[in-house]
Amino acid sequence: MKSSIFIISILVSGAFSGLIYGGINLFVVEPFLDEAIGLENQHLFESGKAEDTPQFWIEYEGYRTWQKGGQIFASVILGIVFGSLFGIIFSLSKDSLPGNSFMKKSLILSGILWATIFLIPFLKYPSNPPTVGEEETIVLRTTLYLMFIGISGFGALGFYKISKKLFKNKRWFALLGFGAFIASIFILMPENPDKIFAPMELVNNFRIASALSLTCFWIILGFIHGLFWQKIDKKQ
Amino acid sequence: MSETRQINVSKNSVPKLALIALGLIFVAGLFLVGFDQGHVFSLVYGEQAFTDSFLHELTHDMRHAAGFPCH
Repeated sequence: MKSSIFIISILVSGAFSGLIYGGINLFVVEPFLDEAIGLENQHLFESGKAEDTPQFWIEYEGYRTWQKGGQIFASVILGIVFGSLFGIIFSLSKDSLPGNSFMKKSLILSGILWATIFLIPFLKYPSNPPTVGEEETIVLRTTLYLMFIGISGFGALGFYKISKKLFKNKRWFALLGFGAFIASIFILMPENPDKIFAPMELVNNFRIASALSLTCFWIILGFIHGLFWQKIDKKQ
Repeated sequence: MSETRQINVSKNSVPKLALIALGLIFVAGLFLVGFDQGHVFSLVYGEQAFTDSFLHELTHDMRHAAGFPCH
């Protein structure tokens, strides 16, 4: 297979998944973002840092429209980012993934990636709406979050390698080992240092919406990659 | 003396170069959408880029939605 064709196909399928994800976010997540930013505006008015004038709202609406467009753009890039990772792992592991078709293998891999690089880090560092999070701690929080994604992802890979060296009936030891490993990391990693002052109902609803839309993203990514590989298989 | 070699190539084998390119795209893209606080534009605009945080503001809603920490 030609490198250029493979790369372009992976990028296009990732971008398409990201575009759908961005569209889902507009309806599922954005209403909670607007609500949270509304609270921030309220604080600005109360503290005297901004004035509740028509001019403020004209500028605010323009800025939010720009940010919502940016959300779609950023989701396309995110689709390309995770699509690239997916493409690398799938092309290296497709022969050992369970399933009798590329579609099944692809969906199984998306499930594994959803669990290891989304769900596990999310349980430790759940997503938060605006109004939660101090500006001074952003580098620390981002580093912790990305570190946990890396540890979880590479940990899963390491224990998968170990499982390949074990006899078939003892492979569940590797899964148990990964469980113990990630549980220890979960306890050892520092907590998010920021306190939450926003209403918990808003925070929890936002987290549910965020988790739902990201889950949709991983399913869509797995499905589109499955279609891509099936097409390659038919052509060859 | 002639030597005959049999090479088995998987029909869906992927060139290593493509995997390296995808790896670079993954790292660079993740930095842009998940980490950048003005770092990229600071190469051109200097310290002002950290104040403007253009990429952070552009990707703001997606960062929140996808679980990336944000201010």
